[in-house]
Amino acid sequence: MPQMGVSVVEGTIIAWRKQLGDWVESDETIAEVSTDKIDTEIPSPAAGRLVEILVDVGVTVDVGVTLARIATDARPGEPHDAEREPYDDQREPPAASPPQSPSAPSAPPADETARRGSSRRYSPVVQRIAAEHDVELDAIEGTGREGRVRKQDVIAYVEARAAAEPAADEAGEPALHTESPYRPDPPGGGDGPYKPPEGRPLSRMRQMIGEHMQRSLRTAATCTTWIEVDVSRIELARKEKGITALPLIARCVIGALVEFPQLNAWLEDDIHTVHEQVNLGIAVALDDDDGLIVPVVRGAQDLSAEGLSRRIRDVARRARARELTADDVHGATFTLTNPGQFGSIMATPVISQPQVAILDVEAITKRPVVVTDAFGQDAIAIRPMVILGLSWDHRALDGALAARFLANIKRRVESYES
Amino acid sequence: MTYLQAISEGLRSEMRDDERVLLMGEDIGVFGGAFKVTDGFIGEFGSDRVMDTPLAESGIVGTAVGAAIVGMRPVCEMQFADFVACGFDQIINVAGKMFYRQGLPVNITVRLPSGGGFSGGPFHSQSPEAWFMHSPGIKVVAPSTAEDAKGLMIASIRDPNPVVYMEHKNLYRRVKGDVPEGSYETPFSARVAREGSELVVITYGAMVNTALEATEDLDTHSGTGGASIMVLDLRTLTPLDEPAILSAVRACSKVVIVDEANQTCAAGAQVAALIAEHAFEDLDGPVVRVASPDVPVPYSPPLEQAVLPSVDRVREACRQLLEY
Repeated sequence: MPQMGVSVVEGTIIAWRKQLGDWVESDETIAEVSTDKIDTEIPSPAAGRLVEILVDVGVTVDVGVTLARIATDARPGEPHDAEREPYDDQREPPAASPPQSPSAPSAPPADETARRGSSRRYSPVVQRIAAEHDVELDAIEGTGREGRVRKQDVIAYVEARAAAEPAADEAGEPALHTESPYRPDPPGGGDGPYKPPEGRPLSRMRQMIGEHMQRSLRTAATCTTWIEVDVSRIELARKEKGITALPLIARCVIGALVEFPQLNAWLEDDIHTVHEQVNLGIAVALDDDDGLIVPVVRGAQDLSAEGLSRRIRDVARRARARELTADDVHGATFTLTNPGQFGSIMATPVISQPQVAILDVEAITKRPVVVTDAFGQDAIAIRPMVILGLSWDHRALDGALAARFLANIKRRVESYES
Repeated sequence: MTYLQAISEGLRSEMRDDERVLLMGEDIGVFGGAFKVTDGFIGEFGSDRVMDTPLAESGIVGTAVGAAIVGMRPVCEMQFADFVACGFDQIINVAGKMFYRQGLPVNITVRLPSGGGFSGGPFHSQSPEAWFMHSPGIKVVAPSTAEDAKGLMIASIRDPNPVVYMEHKNLYRRVKGDVPEGSYETPFSARVAREGSELVVITYGAMVNTALEATEDLDTHSGTGGASIMVLDLRTLTPLDEPAILSAVRACSKVVIVDEANQTCAAGAQVAALIAEHAFEDLDGPVVRVASPDVPVPYSPPLEQAVLPSVDRVREACRQLLEY
């Protein structure tokens, strides 16, 4: 069971993609595994024949446990033991066979085409449209010079796809007014003893999240501090750049983290690790309330607001499409959570272990606030405000530092210049 | 009304409405100006308001700066834009920095008859607008139509900042158009000269007409028929209308920028830099520039035609980019 992230301690086999006796290439997917971070695929560490499966589907084992054995001295195409005819005994024993180049003699042609296809280069606007509409660019025929995919090609593709989709919807839509919307109340409402519906076990992801959150609350001395911030400048910059407020606020948070690295840290037992690099975890709610995942934007201290916006969009999309790899969710040094889109204004987030703090960005709401003009005159103004909530681990730091960190973010947000 | 008559009309209208407006320049009074922009002005407004000056551009601009500081609204004519080099210090170091240093607005307008195309040679054909764009505190306008020529003249005179007004000599009598009656201001912003969606040509001044002609019914080599090409007339170079440029790039994703000026550090270079920085994700091809090479404008007619961006060069650049 490979190590998928610092805090992952165990994993469950969901499926074996290769069966006993199958040939497997190096890095080819051999099994699917579920951890408390993600569901992912395990690539084969070597090329060879799968000779032994030690952990069955549905079984949970600790990191480091051997899952299967691969015979690396086998060769592709060679019949395996189960298939070997009796007269095969006459063949030379494998050990005596002449050493052969370990790599397959020639790559399959399909592979070659795929590689050539993916080396095509696309203009920025084509890549952006493809990302926004989830388009596989390799599938598009280009009409530009030397088959280049142009903007109009990808737009035509998206439009053709959209035109095909609503047609199917229309067929499935019920005709109007054929059925009364009235439904009788379910029988027995209010009368007699209450009969609760049947319960179901929690999903694996819910169990994992629950375990992690409980462990965090058991481990950390969690305190929460709030600060109220005027985001007028962020709102302006957001409109100007055409991006959301989150990456702009994230940019300010990252700046503050670089200035206060004690918050950009891990605490494991009594080992305190302070990071220079900011690996920003971004909590992403999955569709249908089906749990939560925290992909990581690495080296975030070097990214602009636009760069962050792009990376956040990308990881959020891949999180929702369940396309994250183990690397995408591992190594966060600080976490941002942003549930404010539904209008809530305050929360007490739970720290993601082994980090020492998490920042909660809530809804931006217009509020009357007292502002002071250049002449020292006070006035009441309507300003877009947000409450930032920082949960921090009292084992690693004290309230004064948490407050100074928040004040630093506030100063950066309120003096934001793009 | 011609472009030249529209400029006269704008000047006359402001002189009638506002007695603080006065004109200064070489031979603008009795002779009516080298191009006759101020023909008849001295008769209507008198020699106190239409002043013939010595051949000293530094003196013309310097005097105008002083007049502006005491509340006048002088309009200086450089006989040819090329000669403004002699008045450069007064514009750049005195007029452009006065408000910053001393809080005094310098409400002057400097008219620069600019551009080539008529075998004027290297001293009478330059397009020096970028000199002024590079220096803070100065607005630069460059109308391409008769209507804008009048509206921008009035707006320049009323603007409290020093304004360099680029008037293209080759448009003086070639461009005609309807001009609204009475007094009106054209805003310091860009104008869509033609709508389009596949490619945008961004330009200003005389090159707007070149661009419109070059992209009228443009067929690509692959014969895909008339392409939909937008032409954006910047009209004002400082301040540059960034939202208009970026929204045109967003709509079209392919950009050709045309300058009549020498290529290096021209107005179009700034436009290209702006696009590279703020519209990167909207581009579907390289930003292409068409400009004069970095040589003086030749006197010889065939050589001059080879140097200045022609309809054919603009058309070919658009074709190449459309097919990219």
